[in-house]
Formats: sequence, structure tokens, C-alpha cells
Amino acid sequence: MEIKYDSVYYSYRENTALEKLVLEDINLDIKENKINGIVGKSGSGKTTFLELLNILLLPTLGTIKIGDYQIEKKCKIININNLRVELGYVFGNPKHQFFLSTVKEEIAFGMKQFSYKLDQIEKRISDALNLVGLDDSYLEKDPKKLSSGEMRKVAIASVLAFNPKILIFDEPTVGLDSISEKSFLKMLKMLKNKYHKTIIIVTHDMNMIHKIADYLFVFHEGKKVLEGTKYEVFNHELLEQYEIVRPAIMEFSHQVLKKKGIKLGYRDDVNDLIKDIYRHVS
Amino acid sequence: MIEIKDLIYQYEKDSTNYIFNRFSLILKKGSFTTLVGPIGSGKSTLIKILLGLIKVNGYIKIGDFVLCSKNVKQIRTQIGVVFEDPDQVFVAETVMDEIAFALENQNKSKKEIWNKVDDIATCLGIKHLLECDPHTLSEGEKRLVSLASALVIEPQILILDEALSMLDEISKRKIFRILKDCNQKGVTILNATHDLNESLYGNEILLLQNGKIILQGTKEEVLKQESKIKKAGLELPFLADLSIRLMYYGVLDHIILDMNEMVDAIWK
Repeated sequence: MEIKYDSVYYSYRENTALEKLVLEDINLDIKENKINGIVGKSGSGKTTFLELLNILLLPTLGTIKIGDYQIEKKCKIININNLRVELGYVFGNPKHQFFLSTVKEEIAFGMKQFSYKLDQIEKRISDALNLVGLDDSYLEKDPKKLSSGEMRKVAIASVLAFNPKILIFDEPTVGLDSISEKSFLKMLKMLKNKYHKTIIIVTHDMNMIHKIADYLFVFHEGKKVLEGTKYEVFNHELLEQYEIVRPAIMEFSHQVLKKKGIKLGYRDDVNDLIKDIYRHVS
Repeated sequence: MIEIKDLIYQYEKDSTNYIFNRFSLILKKGSFTTLVGPIGSGKSTLIKILLGLIKVNGYIKIGDFVLCSKNVKQIRTQIGVVFEDPDQVFVAETVMDEIAFALENQNKSKKEIWNKVDDIATCLGIKHLLECDPHTLSEGEKRLVSLASALVIEPQILILDEALSMLDEISKRKIFRILKDCNQKGVTILNATHDLNESLYGNEILLLQNGKIILQGTKEEVLKQESKIKKAGLELPFLADLSIRLMYYGVLDHIILDMNEMVDAIWK
């Protein structure tokens, strides 16, 4: 399913004295069946980008193409539920998403909105829960009383249950400890590789996105200023200018090149980096 | 500065499932300690206990006072706190009123309050935000307002509870520079987090797991203990991880936690 931003602008409080341009001339193609990272510091326009993608806002100018739908200013989207069912949005803080008293009701809620039949719903709840690594014993639990990692899994299960083609995550690892983060990233890889989902992650956590993203878009002051593979983006000379701090492992290689003129391979893993260092030292 | 002896606490009354069972701890005056541990290790509970928000059995001394129901109020005037979600804590409609709130409760004159708010806002670089609604600010600005509200009472102890996890690295570094300044002026700092990377900005580390202290010491001493850290489900900061491996290969003879120093030590 294609997602394309074509010269998209967005202003808050348009045509008033308080008008504020927050997104400017955004052109980008989300890569299908890949993990796409949208990165930038607070206030760079990431959240507005997401709100436009979820059709919570409409562009002030330009077009967003999602599959067969064209989203434009003042456009009327017929059968919007047919589009929304393809866009699975997982909130940054799962507590903001939950409002029902059991995990079962919470997962069923989305499906009911999209007119799934009752017998389908029962089966899908269980399947979705198992997919995120939780068993049926969670069905009757209160979602707000689970640990942060489990809450995040239930939030994802309630989106997976209606089987969207696109999964959108807003700051998905904030508040997760390293074990929960590892298990979350493993699940994302599985959803991409086995179920061919297109995944979009909005984050400021460069160490996390570096471990998982196939392709990155960098936002700064409302503009998309860079895009490319993580190697292209994190090696870019203007990165500091966009107030992005490289993941520690890449920052190290960058410093070695800058200070000592030694080019190490850009590595994802400390074990590989050690071999490079050992070779250059001995 | 903070002394806990034989603390006993269980989440559910009448349960034998204790989160703290004869727990003892000493934090020195003027220290900058990072309290780390996985989710559910007891970090936030410990902070609530120190603030007197939870009634427990045991001896707790903060500064010159032994914590008991009579002097909880007095002790709280010595402790500044920054919580994880500032939006849940903000009570006022402007940043100025928000920062002034704690002082108004201390019966200070309007002039004195304004001078203190002005001083702290200047020091943290948020004077231009004083008229704004705190809820409309960016996440980084919200933390600065929370920090200003905590520091305006001139606390002897500053406690942060997962306060910086929502921030990008640049905003985080800015706040840690301010914390370091406060610490150098004598404020004792306790920063609770599940992210061991934050420990690089402090001096000491306290590793908590299932309500027990697994490790306590300087960051260099603690970060050497790779197996205990990993067993607690935490990830070593990159530089600590790299140091340990380079020590194994004989390239380094001690742990280095500064990037420039690390590069210079490897290629002398």
C-alpha cells in the first residue's frame, strides 16, 4: 500500500493572526514492507506528520496519497473506515489508548468499529494476543494494571486484531527497560518479515531506531531535511546541524575518523567494532 | 544525608510478599546517584517512601530529620521532586504561577516569590516562557518548568523519577548540565531511571532489583560488573561495554566513560 506525501504543508490556526506553519513542503515515499523511522528533536514536526497520516488533520496544501485515497484540504473521504482499517496506530503511551476494563474488551473494541462479526472477533482476540507473545490468561486482566512492557503488547495486539497493512508507532520504547525493548524490536522484525507489514516509527531515540530501521527520514523545524538508509543518514555531515545525536556506536567511529583519521567500518554491533579496533591498534 | 535502616514494606497489606524486607541504604550528602533497575524493581516505591507518601516500618532519616508523620511537611521542604509526566503535576495556568506555587505554600511575600521565580527562570533559560500555559510547551520545556518548580524551594535534595525518559538526547544533555551545576553547589541528587546511559552524567550508581541493592558504588566500579548488570535485565552504556571488551583484549587497563578520552587511550 503506497503512502506518498506530495508538497504537503500544514499550518495551525490558518488565516488568523496566530497562524503557524509547522510542516513545509514535505515530499516523501514511505518504503513498503520496510521499517521506516521518522526522527527529529521535539518540535520538528513529527507529531503533525503522524496526525496527517492518521487523517486527524488535513493538509493546508498538497496531497497525501494512501493506497487509492487522495487526502487533500477540504476533501471528503468516502468510506473513511475502509482506509482507517489499514492504518494501525499505536499510541506513545498505551495508557492513553486504554479505556475498557479487560484486555479482551480492549482488543475487541477496534474490531467492533470496523464491523467485524462476533464469532470472528473471539478468534482474532486470541490470535492477536498470541502474536505479541501473551497467552489467553491475560484476557480478563485489567490492561491498566499490567507492566509497561505488557501494556505496550496489549496496545499492539488491539491494533493487530483488525489486521492493518500499515503499523504506526509513536515513541514506542519510551519507558521500556532493555529486556522489554529487545522483545518489542524482535516482534517488529517478525511483523515485517513474516506478515509483510509496512512499519512507521516516530521517535527521538537514535540508539533504538539504529537497531531496527531500514530507512530513515529526518525532520527539522517542520521540514524533511534528510532521508536514506541509516548508514547514509547517520554518516551525514550535516547531522549535528539538525540537532540529531548519532547512536553511540556510530558517534565513536565518527570521532575516530575526525580525531585520528582512521576509518572504521560502520558497525551495528560492539563485537564487530572490537575486531576493527584490534586490527588498527595491533 | 539519606539513611534507611531495616525498611519493611509489602504492596498488599497482610501479604508475605515483601518488596522491601530489612532494606538499608546510605546516600552521602552532595552525592549524585543514579538509581537504576528494571521496571518493577522498586525504584518508584522507594521514592514515594522517601517523600513520606507511603507509610512503612523502618528507620528513615533525611537530613537532620527522622521521617515520621509529624515532620513529613518539614522534610518535604528540603526535597525537590521532578516526576515522569509533568502534565499530571502542573496545577497553574502560567509557568510563572506554576513555579511560584511551592513558595506560596511557604507563606513568603509576593516580592520575595517573584524574585526567586525570576532568578530560577533566568538560571534555567526559561524566562521567555513565564507567561505561557505549561501544558502547551514542548516536552523539554515542560521538564525545565518542573525542574524550576523543584529547585525554587532551594532543596537540599533533588529527586528525579524517570523524569527525562521522554526527552531527545540534546534536551537531556542540557538538563544534565543544569543538574551537575546544582550538584556542585551542594544539592544531593537522586535520579531514578531504567536507562543506564543516564548514569554517565552522575557520580554513583545504585542498582536495585526486586527491592534489593545488587550494586552500589562509583559509576566506574559498578559499570565493571557486566554480569550482574545484564542479569538485572539492563543494558551497559556503549562506552562501558566497549571498555570491558578492550580490557579483555589488553588494549585498555581501566574503564573509560568519556568518548574523547577513549579514542585517545586506544590510539596513544
